[in-house]
Amino acid sequence: MSDARRSLSRRLADALVERWVGRAYLEEFMGDLEEIYEDRREEKGKFIAEGMYWVDAIHLIFGFSSTASKQSHSMFIGNMVKIAWRSAARHKQFTILNLLGLTLGIATCVAIGLYVYEESTYDTFHSNGDRIYRINQPMIWGDWTEQFSGTGPGITEAIRTDIPDFEQVTRIYFIGEQLTRVTDNGEATNFNEENFYAAEDNFFKVFTFPFLKGDPNTALKDPNTVVITASTAKRYFGDEDPMGKLIETKSSTGTYTPYTVTGVLADVPAQSHLKFDMLSSLTSVEQFKDGKYTWIWTIFGTYGLVREGTDVAALTKKLQALPPKWAGRTTQSIFNQTFEQFTKGQPWTLYMQPLRDIYLASEPGFNRFGPQGNPKFVMIFGAIGALVLLLSSINFMNLSTARSSNRAKEVGVRKVLGSAKTTLVRQFIIESVLYVAVSTVAALVLVQLSLNAFNTIAEKQLSLVTHLTNPYFFGTLIGFILIVGLAAGSYPSLYLSAFKPAETLKGKLKSGFKGSGIRNALVVFQFTVSIALIICTFFVQKQLAYTSTIDVGISKDHVLQIYNIHQLGKGVDVLKAKLQTNPAFTAVAQSGFLPPNVWAGDRYRAEGPDQPVVDLHYMRCDENYLPLLETKFLLGRNFDPANAADKYNIIINEEAARILGYGSKETWADNSPLGKHVVQSFGSEEKLQIIGVVKDFNFNSVKLKIEPLIVMHTDNDKHWSYSAGFPCYLSMRLNPASIKSGDELQSIIDNVKTEVAKVDPAVPFQYSFMDEEFDNTFHEERKMSVILNLFTALAIAIACLGLFGLAAFSADQRKKELGIRKLHGASTGHLVFLFSSEFTKLVGVSIILATPIAYFLTDYWLSNFAYRTPISVLVFVAAAVTALSIAIFTVGFQSLSAANANPAEVLKNE
Amino acid sequence: MSRVIGELEELILLAVCILDGEAYGISVKKEVERHTGRTILLGAIHITLYRLQDKGLLLSKLGGSSDKRGDRRKRLFRITKKGMEQLRTSQEVRQKMWDLIPQLSPGS
Repeated sequence: MSDARRSLSRRLADALVERWVGRAYLEEFMGDLEEIYEDRREEKGKFIAEGMYWVDAIHLIFGFSSTASKQSHSMFIGNMVKIAWRSAARHKQFTILNLLGLTLGIATCVAIGLYVYEESTYDTFHSNGDRIYRINQPMIWGDWTEQFSGTGPGITEAIRTDIPDFEQVTRIYFIGEQLTRVTDNGEATNFNEENFYAAEDNFFKVFTFPFLKGDPNTALKDPNTVVITASTAKRYFGDEDPMGKLIETKSSTGTYTPYTVTGVLADVPAQSHLKFDMLSSLTSVEQFKDGKYTWIWTIFGTYGLVREGTDVAALTKKLQALPPKWAGRTTQSIFNQTFEQFTKGQPWTLYMQPLRDIYLASEPGFNRFGPQGNPKFVMIFGAIGALVLLLSSINFMNLSTARSSNRAKEVGVRKVLGSAKTTLVRQFIIESVLYVAVSTVAALVLVQLSLNAFNTIAEKQLSLVTHLTNPYFFGTLIGFILIVGLAAGSYPSLYLSAFKPAETLKGKLKSGFKGSGIRNALVVFQFTVSIALIICTFFVQKQLAYTSTIDVGISKDHVLQIYNIHQLGKGVDVLKAKLQTNPAFTAVAQSGFLPPNVWAGDRYRAEGPDQPVVDLHYMRCDENYLPLLETKFLLGRNFDPANAADKYNIIINEEAARILGYGSKETWADNSPLGKHVVQSFGSEEKLQIIGVVKDFNFNSVKLKIEPLIVMHTDNDKHWSYSAGFPCYLSMRLNPASIKSGDELQSIIDNVKTEVAKVDPAVPFQYSFMDEEFDNTFHEERKMSVILNLFTALAIAIACLGLFGLAAFSADQRKKELGIRKLHGASTGHLVFLFSSEFTKLVGVSIILATPIAYFLTDYWLSNFAYRTPISVLVFVAAAVTALSIAIFTVGFQSLSAANANPAEVLKNE
Repeated sequence: MSRVIGELEELILLAVCILDGEAYGISVKKEVERHTGRTILLGAIHITLYRLQDKGLLLSKLGGSSDKRGDRRKRLFRITKKGMEQLRTSQEVRQKMWDLIPQLSPGS
């Protein structure tokens, strides 16, 4: 059979067999392989025959090496494993350092890998997932260059009329927190339902949420129907059949609306960007009937299922014709503005975002209907995982080459006995792969043990066990072992196998220092990374500490806030009166938002010709709230309850005064905003008179700059807005004298709870403290800081392991040199200095390299914040000192023992 | 004959006997597969054949080739006296044990 007829893959297999199987047996093996291949090809076809050829070839190689190694001149795998084991057992310290470093590195990498995998596989359970797109639009309430996932219902109507390329378009509507009850035998049970949305009847034609009970085609057809998830059903009805049962929701006026359960869904998978417990039919939403053509009611999510084989780019282009054609009617009727006036010439672009990209997209960063991932975190974690792995691989390389002097003689003897260089390379690579394999197994165990802690920090439910049964996971793992093993083993193997036998056997052991250039470079790299991480960690801490000390312009400590107050209806006044008599409180006030979460806004303009329309945040509160916050009035006065007209007047902040065109504090003498009017640039064109200007204060996270704000009275019944909200919060300023202990505070809270229950027991009691809410806006950053600390510690630990190993090796190498120096009168202190300086120099170089890198990184990170801690030199110095002391401490032990050694002992063999 | 041999070893010895001079890797593989109904990897057959040869139960020599093999010779195995004895011992051990079973009443 000529070679030309053999396939490439079989020739490759042949080459492997020829290389690895002893010459004495080659002929018969190859003959058998050939024969069985021909048999199989005739019987089962070429593909299977080819595959089995490989299976047999590899099996032969392995099987042969385990039985026949004694009879062969070649080096076989079994033998190599044995040599690796012996050498590992002989140098236990190195072996343990190696394995420990690698295990830490791989464990970090696996844990981060799990996290990244989890984060990047959201929404993969929908069977039409590759054809589902979310329609996004610009942030029409602010920066038009930003994408916004909220869309008006009119888009869907327009698509249905104009664009046939969609198989389905569906809307989901945000209802928000609802108070609900079920009545069983006249006995009502109350619930507080957070994830309650309304969806159009074709919702389940787009998304795959399997029904346990009910019909997906009709479940959301009729008004006042609701589908619930299995665990919600359990919560409401226990083991009873929920189908056809009634769930009632409480409206703000206290009346109840009944919904019939028409379906039970399996619980929504954890990795879904849509998270709901209840979905009512969209036809239940009263305002929807009149509002379904509007484009600015951006509380909807719009999702489209395109037909198979649709050109999405072309379709997106087609969509752009919709806003100019349809949205104008909305802007005209609501804002009395033409489409062009409303957009101010900015393009109203519609975007199609693939379903599977939604969770981890950098834009839009807001998802009303469930969790939104943070691509930056995933990137930072991925980078850290790769870095830590790189660091531990470097350790491995360093320790292996350092150890080379110990193995130089072994290599020399082998070469003299006829080992080829390739055989030696193979030996070292196999050793390295073995190390990685052992470490990987240890790392898996370590990850499994520490996963709970990691989950708590990262707020995830990662699981290793579920992956263990996945063949792809194993494939990845094996690939990982081979790649890391090859990468980490390549340098040592080439370096070691290049030794010249004549020199090494003669005892020319300069080789240990020959590779020191590259080794030092690797150490410098490790420490550069570690120091940069230390500096970044310091700055993250510093920024977090700084943000909690920023003066937000209001007194945020000692403010207790209770929620759901609007549910009490007229009972609010009873509650207020009761709480005002409580000596624990110095002030009680009601408001529609609570700093730091004043997110609603609308469009206004100053009265007068040609005044530009501006976006202002607004907050509703009663006359007690601004004094409770201890805001400072720069001009004018607070609401006066004695003045009936005040309920239609407004108070603005400095920034609003500026943006409305009244200038700043200095110019108010000439152009006072007091008594001027602000006009609602929508709906009623209501005029609002300014009666006061307050000093700017942070009503949102201190991450953000202070925005313009207008404050309206809670009793203002003319002001209308889509997102007006209810004055649902009651805030109390605590008297510091009455909260000397935690118990006292608890009893105050319990007392308030009792008072609320006295007015209406159905209203759920929820409370918070304003300072904690301000702190919570840094929740993500704090989480990141904890994780960053952890990985910084890991990186340092790994770098130190490496340094320790190198120092140990160097101490061993220089034993005699130090002994001779000692004989000539060098003091121990001098020797320690001499020995340590070799390593501290490396750390010094790392500090110089790490400083600009860390500066760049922190500067970039800090640019995300409106208020930044200054980048101070002190931090860099502190990081340098930390790194140096860790390094000196690590090396110190070795240098002390080397310097303390008795020269007679050391030199006696010479 | 004290050393016990494994099941596969026994099957392969038997196959070599059956094939009587025509026993090499593939023919042995086919023979064992035909009688047992299992699939055995070629490598396993080879390794076992060599192990049996090391134990002195088989002898081998390189023999004729065929076109299918690309002009490569086969290693033909035949059983030694020691091999036959080993087979008989295995057979006897089994028979003795069978005889010790009190009665055969499956299913009860």
